[in-house]
Amino acid sequence: MSIEVNGGRRGLTDPEIAAVIMAAVPDKPLETQRKMNYFMKPRGKRVNEYETLCCYTQPTPDWIPGGLDWGDWTQKFHGGRPSWSNESTEMRSSDWLAHRDPAFRWHALYVKDKAEEWRYTDRFLKAYSADGHVRSIDPVWRDEVLGDYLGAFGFYEYGLFNSHSSVVRDCLGDTLRMSSAMIGLDKVDNAQMIQAERTFLSKLVPGFPESTDIPKQEWTQGSIFKGARELVQDIWQATYDWNEILFSGHMICDPLFGQFVRREFFLRLSSYYGDNLTPFFINQMQLYFSQTKGITTDMFHTCLGTDVEFGDYNNRLMRAWADKWLPRTVNALKDFMGIYDTIPEIKGVSDKAAIEAALVRVFADWKRDFADPINYKVDTAALVKTVLSGLK
Amino acid sequence: MAISAATKAATDALAANPAPVSVGAQEVHRWMQSFTWDFDKNRTKYSTKYKMANDTKEQFKLIAKEYARMESVKDERQFGSLQDVLTRVDAANRVHPKWNESMKVISNFLEVGEYNAIAATGMLWDSATAPEQKNGYLGQVLDEIRHTNQCGYINYYFAKQGQDAAGHNDARRTRAIGPLWKGMKRVFSDGFISGDAVECSINLQLVGEACFTNPLIVAVTEWASANGDEMTPTVFLSIETDELRHMANGYQTVVSIANDEAASKYLNTDLNNAFWTQQKYFTPVLGMMFEYGSHFKVEPWVKTWNRWVYEDWGGIWIGRLGKYGVESPRSLRDAKKDAYWAHHDLFLIAYALWPTGFFRLSLPTPEEAEWYEANYPGWYDMYGKVYDEWRARGCEDPSSGFLPIQWFIENNHPIYIDRVSQVPFCPSYCKGESTLRVLEFNGKKHSFSDQWGERMWLSEPERYECQNIFEQYEGRELSEVIAEGFGLRSDGKTLISQPHTNKDGKLWTLDDIKKINCVFSDPLKAL
Repeated sequence: MSIEVNGGRRGLTDPEIAAVIMAAVPDKPLETQRKMNYFMKPRGKRVNEYETLCCYTQPTPDWIPGGLDWGDWTQKFHGGRPSWSNESTEMRSSDWLAHRDPAFRWHALYVKDKAEEWRYTDRFLKAYSADGHVRSIDPVWRDEVLGDYLGAFGFYEYGLFNSHSSVVRDCLGDTLRMSSAMIGLDKVDNAQMIQAERTFLSKLVPGFPESTDIPKQEWTQGSIFKGARELVQDIWQATYDWNEILFSGHMICDPLFGQFVRREFFLRLSSYYGDNLTPFFINQMQLYFSQTKGITTDMFHTCLGTDVEFGDYNNRLMRAWADKWLPRTVNALKDFMGIYDTIPEIKGVSDKAAIEAALVRVFADWKRDFADPINYKVDTAALVKTVLSGLK
Repeated sequence: MAISAATKAATDALAANPAPVSVGAQEVHRWMQSFTWDFDKNRTKYSTKYKMANDTKEQFKLIAKEYARMESVKDERQFGSLQDVLTRVDAANRVHPKWNESMKVISNFLEVGEYNAIAATGMLWDSATAPEQKNGYLGQVLDEIRHTNQCGYINYYFAKQGQDAAGHNDARRTRAIGPLWKGMKRVFSDGFISGDAVECSINLQLVGEACFTNPLIVAVTEWASANGDEMTPTVFLSIETDELRHMANGYQTVVSIANDEAASKYLNTDLNNAFWTQQKYFTPVLGMMFEYGSHFKVEPWVKTWNRWVYEDWGGIWIGRLGKYGVESPRSLRDAKKDAYWAHHDLFLIAYALWPTGFFRLSLPTPEEAEWYEANYPGWYDMYGKVYDEWRARGCEDPSSGFLPIQWFIENNHPIYIDRVSQVPFCPSYCKGESTLRVLEFNGKKHSFSDQWGERMWLSEPERYECQNIFEQYEGRELSEVIAEGFGLRSDGKTLISQPHTNKDGKLWTLDDIKKINCVFSDPLKAL
């Protein structure tokens, strides 16, 4: 038969071609080792699918610790700067490929989760609207807090999202790169969910503005988000070390400022003001926060902080970075205290004692999960006091 | 509207129309462009000589959750096929062995391209100022992760289910040994991520994706299917659905700089350099993988190349960008000449260096030789007779003591590496356009095979300093290099690479190579 095959004939189904193929196929497999990436050290007992599909995809030379390639870069930046280099971060590692997403999510698993969340969001919004829940939301909470301040908080999420772009470009490991892109996408998802909620409200409540104009004005010119805006801008654009970007954003700023705003302000208070719509979206954001926390604590605590060769140095550096970013975050929270002046006070919920209790919870969580593992000494009571000084 | 009135209005609206309401992706996306704000430090970390416009739009208007829904649906179809019907019919063991070997290379090397494109589009996400444009690049970042995983899945599947797992199961560790790796890194890795951000976009999106993914990801599925491989079409065509978005990103990159004065000065030079960079590797390597890595042929590579690269891309796609001042690359004519013979030249060298691969190569069978001669008149006199000689000297037999590289040495046909593309060439025995040019810089000699690469090097030699494999291995014995590069199967003695795919043929071991005592030398030192 002719070896030129046309007309869409397929070797699997065309009997004539299949016969030639099967005659050439070995009678038994030539290799007994069938596990891909069998040579690598798995995080668990055996190499899992996530590790098979993600690990060692990065073609870095062995002088970037963990790399399997050799030699130089085949093309460099103008002037000769290398494609990737150890100098892109102050952190040191004996293996930049060691990080694992604790949930072992490769792309298919990641989008599957998010796709389900989107479908469920659609179903929830339809049920919510048909049930008429919107009638019970306190008008001040709805029009000022959700309309203006939740909208403004969307810019916080959007700014942090953008801080991941240079991390995705510069970081030195494959699993690091994939995780960074995913936690970045979660941040823009948060910003989009906030806008989705505002658009949804505008459909239900005649006159409710879905435009981003007022929230942007609040974000760029208002006093409540002033500290947060400056903090986010510095993380996004004034920081070049990709590890410092991740550390400042996910180990300091978001576990304190983001957690307080999402969990202790919008999530906790909304039901008191008749709003059971916002918790639906904030809970998704909290899920992303939880997953991100797993990722970044693996990066900084499990990998860098316990690195056999560089662990002590890395922990010292993290403490220095905490010294740099914690005061700015506290300042952002202090500015945010101004928001309580805009809502009707509910005793035991939004009065000073309740706010202090909420701050104590956030700082205690942060100390336990983020400060203690790097042996960072912090007086959380003093920090809470500083933040509370922003209350009017 | 007063607050109480708004509540009443909401109540009235509900009474009048209690139909369920939701929010669509487009309703959210239309606010995307307003998500950013101006501030002093707002600038890219990756310099570009071009200015990207602040109001650039994206064509695929996705939000994060809608992106996930779309990709998840595609994943369900794809992995459903792979894990269900293709496994049940034992599809991986019904692939022609030659093609099984080709997929070790194609899938792994494409994985490298996809992986580096994650970083490349991260850089573009940073460089763009318009939120919609950032969003387009963000979607591509996620796509590239998907494609990296998908390419890995092909090797994973073939390793687990197929006839020869070696090379599929450890390509990420063994791929760096051979002569094809460095050139692949130039086009698929560093060319995407190291340079002016827009120049990288041109390399990745305007040339790599808009030009070469068609032959690489679409045409390859026809060759795969003809040779019994239905796994590759299942995965690669799913990849290709995302590539459309990437081509649109490349188009929008050009649109975003169209009104910038720098575009009229630099864009066509950058495009020409990018095209030559990409074609210098892809033209010979893809042709070689298709034609020499298969038994059943779809059509001569030169026809595929002419249709996808010359007519579709160089004519139609670039033609659409003509209104922005974009012209077809000046090097396109030289590339067209390469499309005829360059892959035959490269296979001659690749086969000669077969022990450094992570796959098995095969000499053309008599019926394949007939096909080559019919489609490339003059093929036998140049290549076919050499293969006959090699075969007669026992190149497939481990006991022969003959490696084809010896033929090049005996006949005084030195093999050089082009410094810029890292592609090997043999100027004294080739029918392609390669000619030897040697330049000295900082006390080191550099060889080049064409004027376009030489020009790039002369402009910026500091960008192309990479050692080639002959410099790296100089003075080292071949079996040492193979062992150090993990080129062995799980028995610890048989080579992953082999010079044949005959089911009854003997397999070469490290000892067979050691006996020959083949020592690497740097041909530039002899000049």
